[in-house]
Amino acid sequence: MSVPRLEGKVALVTGGSRGIGAAIVRRFQEDGAKVYFTYRSGSEAAEKLAILLEIPKDRAISCDVRKKDEVDAAVEFVLGKESRIDVLVNNAGVIRDGLFLTMEDEDWTEVIDTNLGGAYRFCKAAVRPMMMQRAGRIVNVSSIVGELGGFGQANYAASKGALNALTKSLASEFASRGITVNAIAPGMVNTDMSGAVRAAFGDKIKEKIPLGSFAEPGEIASAAAFLASDEARYITGQIITIDGGISLLSRR
Amino acid sequence: MPDRTAIEKSVKSVISQALKADEQKIALNSSLIRDLGAESIDFLDIVFRLEKEFKIKIPKGELFPEKMLTDSRFVQDGKVTPAGIQELKLRMPGAPWEEFSKNPQVSNLGDLFTVGMIVDYLAEKLSAAKS
Repeated sequence: MSVPRLEGKVALVTGGSRGIGAAIVRRFQEDGAKVYFTYRSGSEAAEKLAILLEIPKDRAISCDVRKKDEVDAAVEFVLGKESRIDVLVNNAGVIRDGLFLTMEDEDWTEVIDTNLGGAYRFCKAAVRPMMMQRAGRIVNVSSIVGELGGFGQANYAASKGALNALTKSLASEFASRGITVNAIAPGMVNTDMSGAVRAAFGDKIKEKIPLGSFAEPGEIASAAAFLASDEARYITGQIITIDGGISLLSRR
Repeated sequence: MPDRTAIEKSVKSVISQALKADEQKIALNSSLIRDLGAESIDFLDIVFRLEKEFKIKIPKGELFPEKMLTDSRFVQDGKVTPAGIQELKLRMPGAPWEEFSKNPQVSNLGDLFTVGMIVDYLAEKLSAAKS
């Protein structure tokens, strides 16, 4: 058997208790990484996941990614334990869908400050040790709506479009330090968070997906694991779309 | 507090790590930009490594006054104004300001960021921290 591709790497996944984040935590763990993850509301889910994967409980870190002191503390905690951080996955995200004209200001602010601001804060805290190591991997979890826009998702789409631009900008700033920065942009994925959209449009959306089904979270996680690995050394500043082909339709 | 020789040794080692430069080729009067090829991100890298090496905090802009260069009071038309030179003198007293004043192009400023300037800064900073 070959050596697991993330053997010996220290990884930090934000929003890791559920959905795509939990799948990434699981996949990284299976691939041999030492995984730490943050959670905000899902403390029960976080605990369950840690037990299930036999991850020491203290590697599940409570953190509101909108708060700089909590973000800094989370990164410090990992550094205190491991003295290094090889992989950062900015996955923590929320949706507050609604038509633009009736969107509450709080819904705008919360989505931007979590999805974009959270990544900003974590990158700021984690890039410094990566610079010293002269190596690092940052994977941002974006969405196809960052590129395509989304009906009733102005806040979410704007946050993800900006996350894509952040990804490319940081990729160019940190390339000389051996740090790669990429994003993955899923389409429809079977998670709690996309549940409302799927409940509302369900089969109608499915019929439009060329590959004919939604993604499972693990299928998003495998792309994250690849980008986090040494094999992806030469890839940086890219937005990898994982959507069963749905974005092809908008290009026809 | 480490003596000047020890500071110099550590600074050279830090710079060689940050710039991936041969330590033997780093002299006190080496210009970080002209001689050692440093770019903007390298200055950050150097600051981070110095902070770790000497266990100190270096406030933004204290060692390398890069923010000054975008301030119109201090820089106009690519030249450092007399007020700007005055300000820089305060921050980097050891640099050859007379020479610089003859042709105060911003692009020449990089020449003043030398290895010795960092050693001067640290010697002062560390002795201030001690007293």
